[in-house]
Amino acid sequence: MIVEIEDEVLKWKFKCGSRDALRRIYEKYLNRLLTLAMALLNDAGAAEDVVHDVFMSFAESAGDFKLAGSLKSYLTTCVVNRARDRMRANRRGPARLDESEPIRSDLGGPDHAILCSEESQRLNHAIARLPAEQREVIILHLKGEMKFSQIAKLHGVSINTIQGRYRYGLSKLRSILNGEVEK
Amino acid sequence: MKPTDNVEEAIKKDLNFAAGAELHDRMLDDVLNAQEKSKKAHSAVTRPNLIRRQIMKSPITKLAAVASVIVACVIGLSLWRGTQSGIALADVLAQIEKVESVRYQWSYKVAGGDPNTYKPYNETRVTWLTSQEYGSKSNWENVDPNGEWSQYVERYFLPQKKNWIFIYPTEKIYICQELEDAEVEEMQDNINVGNYLKDILQNKYESLGNSTMDGVEVAGFQITDPNWFYNLGKNQQVEHKIWVDVKTLLPVRYDILASAEVDKIVDRLTHHIVMHDFQWDVPVDAAEFEPPISDGYTVKVIKLPPGNEETAIQGLKLWVELLDKYPEKISDVDLRLVEKSGTPTALRFKEEIKGLTEGETIIKHADFVMPIRGLARFANVLQRDKKDPAYYGKTVTPKDADKVLMRWKLSDNEYRVIYGDLHAETVSPEKLAELEAALPK
Repeated sequence: MIVEIEDEVLKWKFKCGSRDALRRIYEKYLNRLLTLAMALLNDAGAAEDVVHDVFMSFAESAGDFKLAGSLKSYLTTCVVNRARDRMRANRRGPARLDESEPIRSDLGGPDHAILCSEESQRLNHAIARLPAEQREVIILHLKGEMKFSQIAKLHGVSINTIQGRYRYGLSKLRSILNGEVEK
Repeated sequence: MKPTDNVEEAIKKDLNFAAGAELHDRMLDDVLNAQEKSKKAHSAVTRPNLIRRQIMKSPITKLAAVASVIVACVIGLSLWRGTQSGIALADVLAQIEKVESVRYQWSYKVAGGDPNTYKPYNETRVTWLTSQEYGSKSNWENVDPNGEWSQYVERYFLPQKKNWIFIYPTEKIYICQELEDAEVEEMQDNINVGNYLKDILQNKYESLGNSTMDGVEVAGFQITDPNWFYNLGKNQQVEHKIWVDVKTLLPVRYDILASAEVDKIVDRLTHHIVMHDFQWDVPVDAAEFEPPISDGYTVKVIKLPPGNEETAIQGLKLWVELLDKYPEKISDVDLRLVEKSGTPTALRFKEEIKGLTEGETIIKHADFVMPIRGLARFANVLQRDKKDPAYYGKTVTPKDADKVLMRWKLSDNEYRVIYGDLHAETVSPEKLAELEAALPK
């Protein structure tokens, strides 16, 4: 079993109460988790809340923290679960761009809440138009680096279903993105 | 806007969001505060995590032992593979940190290799007792030529007194080495049982699954990376195994085996370490950490020289007298290096220690080898203080007046350099880069 060594040490130090370890975990995964949350929710305020909640719960869990698996997968799954809860609570899919808080490009300055490039904005806009199930599979596989088998387990469906959603999602996304070019 | 031909690549590479500075700092503050509050709440119901268990971490003691099925059978263990453990070593480390004292056995065997090479002992066993409150105590025994075990030294590491004490009962010798604060801290870290686990965690390891050992269900882990230990020779092989009680999450046994081809037609040099019979959280009596000293003992108090440039140069000079060259690595006095040397100083040194016991040797040459120990201390200080030190004794000779032998950082704009002929000067980073580019490959 090959493990991510740095994360194993960080997990141990974090469990022992290390402030530096928590800071390192935060620095290491903050933007990755924000990207996941943004891609799933397409709402800057909601994404910020989700990631904030995940890190807060994680920080509070130190005394009882037990994690045999990968830290990266654990945090990724936490974000996905909270994003799904949020979408269910809202009884709607991801916010459309015109409904959500504006996402600022990094041209706007370093203090803005969540920064991104124009290309990221364009991609996210397109991903937001996918059905939730396809969007999740694509994001979890490509940005969460989860295997189809892991995603299948998370969703409680077969791996074939997940792979089908991935193919259909990509096809639709390609059409959306190339359609934009034609506009 | 360009068309997106490869959507997957675009999402992987181009879809990225980042926290702005304000969000980053605000959220980090919240998260760290949450951790602090959680710690305070948790400390009310759990024991404070103060202690560090202590064992040796020197290259020799780190060297490893075998165990595997054959050894396990010989010592009467029942051991077989089972299912995957599901235990995280990080959890085991955390569990060790909660322990306040531990007593355990440690055995060390050396076999094979060049029979003419200096080997202090072929077989050693040690009983360790460590306590967060009092320090560590170890009783060392080795096998005499008749195969009988006999005690040869008792060691006490007493962090409160900043002392490291060696007592040789047979020779009636009592040696007390005074330690600096940083050395106390380093020793506390070095003798931490958990360090073995940290070493494993910092490398690629594999699960050996669950087994039963003396009626206890254990989970096994293993490292086989030959580079894990310092180099013994060619074609090195390493097996480092640890078994953890799946209920207590505390180690039950460490088995470490390292072997390599060392020279010509001799058996592979093999080092075998086993740590076993762990008794976690044993009651500790303060009296056990009071080193006994009786009448008639020769007492030697050793205070190492300060770790500075002057001491370092004196140490390097002594190495040249002993070896007629610089050692490849900076280390404490290594008799294996001196053993092979034929310089007048080395020959005199060997003649003088001939027939002496370990304790007598330390007493006799405590002052003589002090510059070398000062050099080793200086190297440790540079490493500890992250002064970007480097040492090129492998390629630079005492005749190389223009080649960098050792260097360390003074500031962002300055490095201090000791050259092969042992003169020193301060240079810019650019100049240092030129000097290092000119070093022999």
